[in-house]
Amino acid sequence: MNGQSDKDITWVCHKCNQNLALKKVKVRYLEGNFEVELMKCTKCNMVYIGEDLALGKMLEVEKGLEDK
Amino acid sequence: MDFKTIYSTISLCPICMKKLDADIIVEDNQAFMIKSCSEHGDFKTVIWKGSIPIESWIRKKERAYIQNPTTKIEKGCPFDCGLCEAHRQHTCTALIEVTGNCNLSCHYCFANSHGTKHQNPTLDQIKFQYESILRASGKCNIQLSGGEPTLRDDLPEIVKMGTELGFDFIQINTNGIRLANDEVYVNDLKNSGLSSVFLQFDGTKDDIYEALRGRALYDLKLQAIRNCQKANIGVVLVPTLVPGVNLDNIGEIIKLGIRYAPVVKGVHFQPVSYFGRVPEVPKDTDRITLPQVMDEIHKQTGGIIGIETMKPPGCENALCSFHGNYVINENGLMNITKRSSCCDDIEKAEEGAIKAKAFVARNWAYQKPKCCDGGHSDWDKILNTLQNNSFSISAMAFQDVWNVNLERIKDCCIHVSTLDGKLIPFCMYNITNAEGNSIYRTNNVN
Repeated sequence: MNGQSDKDITWVCHKCNQNLALKKVKVRYLEGNFEVELMKCTKCNMVYIGEDLALGKMLEVEKGLEDK
Repeated sequence: MDFKTIYSTISLCPICMKKLDADIIVEDNQAFMIKSCSEHGDFKTVIWKGSIPIESWIRKKERAYIQNPTTKIEKGCPFDCGLCEAHRQHTCTALIEVTGNCNLSCHYCFANSHGTKHQNPTLDQIKFQYESILRASGKCNIQLSGGEPTLRDDLPEIVKMGTELGFDFIQINTNGIRLANDEVYVNDLKNSGLSSVFLQFDGTKDDIYEALRGRALYDLKLQAIRNCQKANIGVVLVPTLVPGVNLDNIGEIIKLGIRYAPVVKGVHFQPVSYFGRVPEVPKDTDRITLPQVMDEIHKQTGGIIGIETMKPPGCENALCSFHGNYVINENGLMNITKRSSCCDDIEKAEEGAIKAKAFVARNWAYQKPKCCDGGHSDWDKILNTLQNNSFSISAMAFQDVWNVNLERIKDCCIHVSTLDGKLIPFCMYNITNAEGNSIYRTNNVN
């Protein structure tokens, strides 16, 4: 990604051909519900989660919520 | 009366401790263990009562036979503990009793510790026990217990020895008296690497302590919590639940725990079990079973804690415990756990042990609250919330000689380290017959 964050890149929804925009999105892991800002298609509501986030902070949150 | 047999198991005679066939039966929506000794008669003990049926609670597991058994199978379970090759679960927490001495004379005590008559194990002896645990079970969680471990001035040294040997999570099991009175000692424990305090905390009123512990202790308990807060040591409140004494205080204990979060990381209830010399067979009304505890939690917190948010364990036998994980937020509590109403899935016991170890190390230790350092994103805020506002509610039902079930013993993951380097499942270590005689513990009541 050459040091660029997802915010700096114009992502386009493949299905709708619509630019993604940063929007508040509800996420849930186990029974925990949280609101986070993610890149989202304003038409179909599909959300884009980059690899850095999925294997970084998002994974940390999942581990923090992990049950025994 | 009609009854249904749920399953058959092996138990012990409360008098001669001979192995007996036992049935778990359901009668009138309650589960009982029934067994019969040809010499000492019939025994029937309640094991499960409340709104959650026992059949819906069982979690099926693929057994995790241990890789390095210390003892051979000779006499058969439960007389070969060490652990032996028939044991079905790894060590999640290993206990080391660092003293037999105590500064209280509790009516209920696993260890039958009173006064200061015992010789403490030496540091070399304790090192041998740490190393024996490492060999058998790897870097599991450690609980330093007793007696009252804080009677030892060298407890910080014992904690440090454990951390230097590679144990990441070390907890002390204490009545909190010294922690309340000696801040320097608390700081020394923290600096030695202590992660967590398992604080005997039977209620929010002094009459409870007078009944169970022989003296008023409530203010001391709060001071102990405040001193741990200053030293950044996580605290788990551990009430022993006794019918007629503190069952009506369950909700207040939880509310107090939440009020003292994040230093208080959770509440871990222990329904009373009967060890030592017992003049009469404990009556069913002298017991409270796990589903009754869950019902009381739900009722006494005004429904804030839903019954369905509490689950059976993935590590030990399902009949041994329950737990619920929560995040404290502006609306009260958000539950993270939910009991599944299905299912026939078979889980791996070994995975359960790994998860339980990680959960305890993460959720029962106190990490200094931080705000927003390392990032300002929504994900950072969630991570901060989880670090500062996680709260757990759990309970463990210890087995005594009247309700001991060898299926549960074989699945046990909490093991007591002995002076000769063996590991004994916690309940088996503490079990006595009605005369107070043990199979494994050495300080028998005579």
